[in-house]
Amino acid sequence: MIRTITDTASAAAHLVETFTPLIDLVELWRRDLELFFEGASEVDSAQIDAHMQRLAVPRVTADGTAIVGAGFVATPGRLADAQWHLAWWLSPPAPGTSARRLATSANPDSESFRDYTALEWWRVPVQTGRRHLTGPYIDFLCTDDYTITVTAPVRDGDTAGVTGIDLDVARLERLLLPALLQSDASLTLVNASARTVLSTDPRTPTGAILRVDGLSDALAAAARSGCTSLSDRGAVVACGDTGLFLVQRR
Amino acid sequence: MPQATVMMDAAHAVVYSALDGTGRAERVTQRLTDAIVSGTLEDGERLPSESDLAARLGVAVVTAREALETLRAQGLLVTRRGRAGGSYVRFDPDAAEAITRSRVDALSRLELRDLAVHYAAIAGMAAEVAADRAGEDDLQTLTDIDARADLSDSGAARRAVGRFQLQVAATSQSLRLVHVELQLQAEVGPVLWLCLREEEYRVRSHRARLRVIDALRDLDPAAARSATTSLIDEAAEWLVAEKTAIERAKGQAS
Repeated sequence: MIRTITDTASAAAHLVETFTPLIDLVELWRRDLELFFEGASEVDSAQIDAHMQRLAVPRVTADGTAIVGAGFVATPGRLADAQWHLAWWLSPPAPGTSARRLATSANPDSESFRDYTALEWWRVPVQTGRRHLTGPYIDFLCTDDYTITVTAPVRDGDTAGVTGIDLDVARLERLLLPALLQSDASLTLVNASARTVLSTDPRTPTGAILRVDGLSDALAAAARSGCTSLSDRGAVVACGDTGLFLVQRR
Repeated sequence: MPQATVMMDAAHAVVYSALDGTGRAERVTQRLTDAIVSGTLEDGERLPSESDLAARLGVAVVTAREALETLRAQGLLVTRRGRAGGSYVRFDPDAAEAITRSRVDALSRLELRDLAVHYAAIAGMAAEVAADRAGEDDLQTLTDIDARADLSDSGAARRAVGRFQLQVAATSQSLRLVHVELQLQAEVGPVLWLCLREEEYRVRSHRARLRVIDALRDLDPAAARSATTSLIDEAAEWLVAEKTAIERAKGQAS
């Protein structure tokens, strides 16, 4: 049992190692954009587009990357010339093509208009002031893929917006699976809401909510202390501050 | 040897069945006509440019242009020049009614029922899977879509049905179900949801949404499926009744 927990902790450490460069990127952009907004008295959409494009496009076009979307979304009214604005780029739809700019409807009177400030990837990081992991979810409005979105608030006294990346879950599976296979135990990687990202248990499909007694309390405890036991010979280990958790069950 | 050909299995029969005879331009025209007539695209809404439209539908630019020409000739689109230039949707209730009647008239009862069965298979399964996979945020999103549905307007009610079904499919976490749902909404939706022109059916669609949301909250896959497929069955029954009425009227006129 001790051995299994050590294995799980070691798998979690490997997951953190894989995730860290992705999270570091979001943190780097957050600081970069904070300086950008602090250095300018007024920012318009063309300025933020040009700046964000330089940061985002190389990332979504890199070979073999799990990043399929990246950019900045402005707080409504923050930009001088656009009430609502998304500077977001998506990976090329096919090899040999270029990155696509996310097309959006910015007419709030239109019925198809969606106020992005209500969506989890905006709402949570802005409310908590901290980086947040949303998903996995089907992003049919943006990437048209099964996606995890990592977003961080950009502060300039108030909130200028959020910056972040979309990760393709199918590509993440290939990146993350080796860490899970290190352990003989059945391991399930979940988000803070117990939704499965990846599991070595064949009964637990990606996207399913893991239903284990006491799991939501255990996830909250693991978020605070890093590791906690789960009823009936299980354990939950936080993967650092990625927002992901490893659930080990016998 | 001839017998071997006849004994082809079902999967091969599907692969080798004759392709739809209509050309690409006609299919693009049909797709857009349906969307405009059913109110999926709003009156005054601007269409993507010819090249964007062609890219999205996976057709050549000339094909998209040809389809747009046809729609302009039918008065379903108007062209504006200048800075805000482009093709804009024009919804004329009388023209829409005439187009819809001929569309329903052209489909046999068998085809209408088959559309409904196909759509129920996809939407019902999506609801069933969603009942195990809905999180709090998903329930909130679905509740919001229902709350924003304007039941006094048939176009708005139609769009609400589409949005809700798409969100349920997304909640199932299956990308394939989402893609089929999108495809079927474009092809089947405009005909299937004609009943939403009647207020009674708009109210029924709202009640069905509430039942689906409750079933998702209760982790009850069977209830989620049945609330979804019952509404589709009712829509199909309305459609056949409407078709019969059209045919009777035609019979009396001749």
